[in-house]
Amino acid sequence: MSPSPLVAHGLGKRFRREWGLRGLTLEIPQGAIVGLAGPNGAGKSTLLALATGLLAPTEGAISVLGRDPLRDPGVLSEIGYVPQGSPLYRSFSVADTIEYARRTNPLWDDEVATELLTRIDSKTKVGALSEGERARLALVLVLGKRPQLVLLDEPFASLDPLAGRELLQLLMDGVAETSATVVVASHVVADIERVCDHIVLLAGGGVCLEGNVEQLLESHRLLTGPRRPLGAVRGVREVVRERHSGRQLTLLTVVDGPIVDPSWTVEPVSLEELLLAYMAPERLPAPRTPEKVPLRWHG
Amino acid sequence: MAWVTWRQHRSQLVATAGLLLALAAAAFGTRLPIHAAFHRDSLSACLPPAARSGCDIIVPHFEAEFAGWVTAARVLAVLPVLAGLFVGAPLLARELEQGTYRFAWTQGVTRRRWLLSKTALLAAAMLLAGAAASAVVMWWRGPFDTLEGRIGPSSFDVEGLVVPAYALYALALGVLAGLVFRRTVAAMTSTLVAFAATRFLVLEFVRPHFLTPLHRVVLATDTGLQPGDWVLSNTLVDGGGRQISAAREDLAVLHATQAGIDPHTYILTLGWKRLISYQPAGRFWTFQLIEAGLFVGLAALIVLVAVWLVRRTPT
Repeated sequence: MSPSPLVAHGLGKRFRREWGLRGLTLEIPQGAIVGLAGPNGAGKSTLLALATGLLAPTEGAISVLGRDPLRDPGVLSEIGYVPQGSPLYRSFSVADTIEYARRTNPLWDDEVATELLTRIDSKTKVGALSEGERARLALVLVLGKRPQLVLLDEPFASLDPLAGRELLQLLMDGVAETSATVVVASHVVADIERVCDHIVLLAGGGVCLEGNVEQLLESHRLLTGPRRPLGAVRGVREVVRERHSGRQLTLLTVVDGPIVDPSWTVEPVSLEELLLAYMAPERLPAPRTPEKVPLRWHG
Repeated sequence: MAWVTWRQHRSQLVATAGLLLALAAAAFGTRLPIHAAFHRDSLSACLPPAARSGCDIIVPHFEAEFAGWVTAARVLAVLPVLAGLFVGAPLLARELEQGTYRFAWTQGVTRRRWLLSKTALLAAAMLLAGAAASAVVMWWRGPFDTLEGRIGPSSFDVEGLVVPAYALYALALGVLAGLVFRRTVAAMTSTLVAFAATRFLVLEFVRPHFLTPLHRVVLATDTGLQPGDWVLSNTLVDGGGRQISAAREDLAVLHATQAGIDPHTYILTLGWKRLISYQPAGRFWTFQLIEAGLFVGLAALIVLVAVWLVRRTPT
């Protein structure tokens, strides 16, 4: 098996006094489509900026495609990164922007770019493009590099659902033949759950859940039953979250066998529900300064 | 990177060319009457060493006639700093301010190479522009320089090799300031301050000592000024070589007048002499080389620091 395209070990980044990321250890499998989830301020952008060498780690180490992005910045020609808000030169025309990418990337593939960018007039100034078109252009610039690793930071943040869906389609088409690894950071789970097969959930500056989506869904179950004192339920390894509503008790659990107790109704769990449960404030690894509003449960 | 540099900085480069054209046109237009006056008065006959009689009247008259223009031309000393303000400072500051560095620095060209190639290409353009401006000014100031020499600051600062060297230095300052302050306006301001400070310090404290100044002792009543030299100091000394303060000089003049003696004669009988320290006109090119070398060296150093910083301390 080829080496992991993104490895972090004890990674930490401090901004002035506050840690944006701390003690993060992570290994993303080759070829995976990774959803990087987490609430705002969880460190998603920080992780991607560290992966591209735009930030330097305060502690620990990160390597992309087996290379250190800061010491060996040549690796960036094989990484496609779309920063949040897809910043591009507003005074450039679309054609100029593509020319820029062509001239600054040794592996540039003109065909990919022209094929994918048929709907935008190449003479238009970037500043005059709609958000959706600009996001599309930014993604095309990345795909034209024929990257082995694609990093997208909140690509859907400013897009309407239709534009978001089209962008996602463009991404999937673009990486289909190259089997590139993709990391999509988004705080909206619905945006990424359609495509990602691997999930990394960041919260409080560290990883609080990571794994293959199928396996995660397989190992978690929603248990509903009458309210009663909690004892160990057979087949349940861990209770992730419990919720009382009226006379009902709902448990989100990690299961390691069949639930035999007939007083429980067993249901599969959705990815969104799973991620929200793991993001809950009481599950955060370490107490942090409460400058960010913690995610609340309704129920 | 040449295309990238051109595409991103073409407006500045076009503006530079426009500025040069305007300068050349202005020089061409104003040079004609100067030239005509120079020949009308046959001032070439007044050049040392064979100064004909009457020159001490004609030359000041000629100089007075165009004094306004010459003063106006001194403003050209600010031209080089424009390279720092409008080309150097925005180079990094604008990318950092608008967030486009996140696009530019994650392409296949490494950040260090990106900065080095852009700076090098723009430096070449600014060198060229500086040299052109310097050539135009030298051509325009020709008549004045033949009469007064060009080692004095009013001509030295706008002629020869130092003009492109200043432009290079300003550009480098701007680039570094942009990286440090990350805001275009702050980068421009600090570039202006740093550039002006360096130029002032070099002019006041360094340039006079590039080579050991020459000394000349003349009669105390002589002004001691010779056209073309850059006079650094002009003091009265007594027979023992001690400097005479202005107060003592005034006192001597007062004594002489009270005693009914001509002050000049009195001062001569005291044995006072005038000691002049100066840089001769002939050292112009040597000084130009030294000062240009100094500023180019500083510019290179600053660019190295910027390149080191841009790689070492990411955002």
